[in-house]
Amino acid sequence: MRERLEALCDAGLAAAAVAESVAQLAEVESSYLGRTGALTAQLKELGKLDAAERPAIGKLANEIKQQLQSSFEARRVVLKRQQLDADLASVGVDSSLPGPTVELGSVHPVMAIARELEEIFQSMGFVVWDGPELESEANNFDALNIPSDHPARESHDTIWMKSAPGEDRRCLRTHTSPVQVRALREFGAPLRVIAPGRVFRQEVQDATHEHTFHQMEGLVVGKDIGVPHMLHAMNSMLEGVFKRKLETRLRPGFFPFVEPGFELDARCPFCKDGCKVCKGSTWIELMPGGLVHPNVLTAAGVDPEVYSGFAFGLGLSRMAMLRYGIHDIRYMCSGDLRFLNQFQA
Amino acid sequence: MKISLNWVGDFVDISDKSAEEISALLSMHTAEVEGIEYSGANIAGVVVAEVLTCEQHPDADKLSVTTLNYGAEETVQVVCGAPNVRVGLKVALAPVGCVLPGDFKIKKAKLRGQLSQGMICSDSEIELSDASEGIKELPADAPIGARLIDYLELSDAILELDNKSLTHRPDLWGHYGFARELSAILKRPLKEYPSEFEWPAEASEYTLQLDDQQQTSCYQLTELSVGGGPQVSPEWMQQRLLAVGQCVVNDIVDVSNYVMLELGQPTHAFDKDKVSGKQISVRRATAEEGFVTLDETECTLMASDMVIADADKSIALAGVMGGANSEVDDTTTSILLESASFDATSVRRTALHHNLRSEASSRFEKSLDPNYTLSASQRVCQLLCEMRDDVKVDSAPVFAGSADVASERLTINVANVRTLLGIDISDQDIDQNLTALGFEVEANGDDMQVLVPSFRATKDIQSAVDLVEEVGRIAGYDKIVPQPLCAPIEVPKQLDYRRLASKLLMRLVNNHQAHETQSYSFIPDAWAKLQGLSCDDFIQIANPVNDAVSLMRQNPALSLLSQVPVNQREFPSGRLCEFTKGYAEDDENGEAIESRILAMLIWGPSDLPKSGQQSLVGQLRSVAADLTGLLNINAQYQVNPDDLQSRFGFAHPKQCLALSFARQSLGIISRVHPAVVSALGVDNSDVAVLLLDVDALVDAQAKTKFKFSSPPTFPAVKVDVALALPTGVDYAAAHNAVSAAAGKLLDQIELFDVYSGPGLKDGQHSMAFTVLLRASDRTLGDKEEQSFIQKVSKAAEQLGGNLRS
Ligand SMILES: [Zn+2]
Repeated sequence: MRERLEALCDAGLAAAAVAESVAQLAEVESSYLGRTGALTAQLKELGKLDAAERPAIGKLANEIKQQLQSSFEARRVVLKRQQLDADLASVGVDSSLPGPTVELGSVHPVMAIARELEEIFQSMGFVVWDGPELESEANNFDALNIPSDHPARESHDTIWMKSAPGEDRRCLRTHTSPVQVRALREFGAPLRVIAPGRVFRQEVQDATHEHTFHQMEGLVVGKDIGVPHMLHAMNSMLEGVFKRKLETRLRPGFFPFVEPGFELDARCPFCKDGCKVCKGSTWIELMPGGLVHPNVLTAAGVDPEVYSGFAFGLGLSRMAMLRYGIHDIRYMCSGDLRFLNQFQA
Repeated sequence: MKISLNWVGDFVDISDKSAEEISALLSMHTAEVEGIEYSGANIAGVVVAEVLTCEQHPDADKLSVTTLNYGAEETVQVVCGAPNVRVGLKVALAPVGCVLPGDFKIKKAKLRGQLSQGMICSDSEIELSDASEGIKELPADAPIGARLIDYLELSDAILELDNKSLTHRPDLWGHYGFARELSAILKRPLKEYPSEFEWPAEASEYTLQLDDQQQTSCYQLTELSVGGGPQVSPEWMQQRLLAVGQCVVNDIVDVSNYVMLELGQPTHAFDKDKVSGKQISVRRATAEEGFVTLDETECTLMASDMVIADADKSIALAGVMGGANSEVDDTTTSILLESASFDATSVRRTALHHNLRSEASSRFEKSLDPNYTLSASQRVCQLLCEMRDDVKVDSAPVFAGSADVASERLTINVANVRTLLGIDISDQDIDQNLTALGFEVEANGDDMQVLVPSFRATKDIQSAVDLVEEVGRIAGYDKIVPQPLCAPIEVPKQLDYRRLASKLLMRLVNNHQAHETQSYSFIPDAWAKLQGLSCDDFIQIANPVNDAVSLMRQNPALSLLSQVPVNQREFPSGRLCEFTKGYAEDDENGEAIESRILAMLIWGPSDLPKSGQQSLVGQLRSVAADLTGLLNINAQYQVNPDDLQSRFGFAHPKQCLALSFARQSLGIISRVHPAVVSALGVDNSDVAVLLLDVDALVDAQAKTKFKFSSPPTFPAVKVDVALALPTGVDYAAAHNAVSAAAGKLLDQIELFDVYSGPGLKDGQHSMAFTVLLRASDRTLGDKEEQSFIQKVSKAAEQLGGNLRS
């Protein structure tokens, strides 16, 4: 029995050493240690031995089983490694193949700018407010100190709704400025508010003119507020948008609802010494603004003797065109996916 | 508007400043300069030369061979074709190497065998006038070798101003106004406007009739005799007019234009012999009255147009243009010179209505100072009498109306001026800035009393803040130092619908491959009928951008649909979304209702299944479930509700769903009716739309309470059941039946297969569900599973079918 066991052990070790694959090794293993394996068969016969012989032979049989197990295990590690090395050495797969296509949505460039600015202004404590697009003549013009015979009220500038004779006239708002008055009536002074939204003008469409576009109104009202505060706020906002400080300057500009009125220019963010965007001047006209006209404060129920403030108007469509280099405003309302899908959230 | 710096230099000394400097000063202090043109630069190489010899060309009858002295060591030979070339004449020579207008470079050449080393120029070749007869003849004392632009003082810079930045400034529509600005900016003296003129003692034989002083504040007429008729204007005047883009006609018209460009006040000359009677009236036109302007435009007047009329006809459209019937021509020997102040709005409307915008009308539109009328007529008479001996002013002007302007005295507080501007400016500088602009200032403690000059009082200076601007812009806005705002620390109020809409929109973009778009708020009239509506169901535009597009949309579905055709060629399927508005009349109070709508439109090939997960409606239902789920709203769906098509005329009668929460409508999902799809030019595609009422979602979210539940302790039992049902029984009914069978034990239920075909009876389909049953207090056993299956079987039988296997 002892000899048979030892011979089995030697044969098993030899068979493991020559096994050339994990599968072959598994066969060898099963032929010795499996349910019908040679060693298993010997172990079953242990019971037939003399009681005196049994402990010693039993011990030996167990030792041999463990020896074979660890030897098979050791050989398996070697064979697995050999197989892995062989796999790695072979030419294998085309890892340059693409994965499944992920379809992306996209955001509208004007809305992207609007949402970005809203976030910046909210972080500076501004209320984001809104007003209707169908606006009364009183709010769109009268309350903003626009004289009753001002050309902007004529039908070649403003889109008017049909109205019955004697009825108050209603138009598509020509600017977001009526929200100045609405917000002041809602919240009173002091107030910091912006109002992004859609505005409408009578325009013949071409590359730079659209009848439907977007603006963002800004208004700050408080005590002793002057031009320096406006300049500071504008500089901060620009730093937020362009992620760096931009030099700015004020030029005279005329708008009935502000006095004094300004055009705010910023150093062209796209060049150092003149480019197409700034038409070679290194300055770009960014937004109109000014100190809120006392007549506007009065119309909004705020006492101009106590409060003053500044207002500004950002052309969101224009900003988007500047930021992304869009040369034709007519793409904005085209719904053309080849245009839209370039702008990621 | 164009201004000549030489001309401005008549009134303020700017000789030491470059055109760039002046342009920058005006842009930063007054109005935007859009460009600078240098006149004379294009003929800089042309010099004064004298003709020394002049011989007939041996081989050409019409050519002469000349030699000229132009100040160089050697004379040059030039072949010239002009008949007026002769020995001793001083001419304008373009020598070899000189470049003339039109990029015409002068080269050495041979003309019929004779060497020609330059060109003797005519007026038109050096752009001094339009017409040219022969070469330009210079005075005998012209210095040989001098640059022509220096000798004729042609070197000038012309600034082009942005007219839009001048609309509020009636005083800036002539050179003198800019001289006044520069005198204030540079702190240099301003010369008085040269309008002295001694009127004759004789009274005019004309009388004036002013019908409406609201429309015409004053009107003035002066009689002049021009013995020799209209002549050519002197060269200096022609040059100035041409330099700023004003065409040259004859001296009568040119002087009128010259004064207009100088002071800003238009005047008009009538041929006195063509005017009947001795009374001139300023009155409203007769409606439908025909009138021919001097530029030969035939107009039919409106009753609101103001005209100038003689005894029997209209002779001018007030402030806009004179009539052909009274125009100055070659035979004119006496004129009536009109200088008047017409109402800005009336002139603008007349000019606009008849499409007759003129230099005069664009100035009257700005509300000119009526006091200019006298200065202008004096300046015209002065210039004409200086230029010609045969011009005589026959009578003192006859005048009607009043040139008074209600000039208010305004009070400014100097401390307030400093606060608002943020410029540390002394009282003295404030005073000086205002005074230089023509204001009269009187100090009064901390206040200043300021009298507004009439040329600023008609329009732009109305209140104290207007003076703050005057002080600030002359001082210079570059002196303002930015200052941070001190404000209370508060959480800004937010609009719930904006926040919610933004969140949902970003979800559509990031999770549902939607492309955010923008679509127009107005829709074509033809789309009313497409939706079974009439135009009167919409808010209508009185003056639409396009006549056929005059309705304010009720919802954006068709606007988005109209964006599909541009995409179809490259994108067989696609998804567009927009947060936007619909518009409707509120009959209660006559105000418009603007509903805030989140819309998503998808299109795909027309062979997609019409129901289920692959269908367009199925896809949108998944999207809607995701969005409402994001807001924790458990939305209910109603299939093909009866009233949906009446509210949304584009909806498909058999493939639409209404979404609601707590009986409040949240929106709809619908396939767009195939007839509407093809009417909008979309071919071979199906389209479906999701419209969500954002305000309703805000309300629904407010009513929803989030309730936490602990993760389950006991395992669930998974049971698959397949029901064979008549095809009339839909998913919703089957789903309800299986859910009811599970009762309280229902944890999850999901459809995993819909089938019809072999193994089923005709008119049957099968729906298979995976159901998870779970109890919170015990592990479920076989008994409960069997009881559930029995209940499903019974329910299937009640629906006219049976449980399969
Ligand atoms: Zn640039």
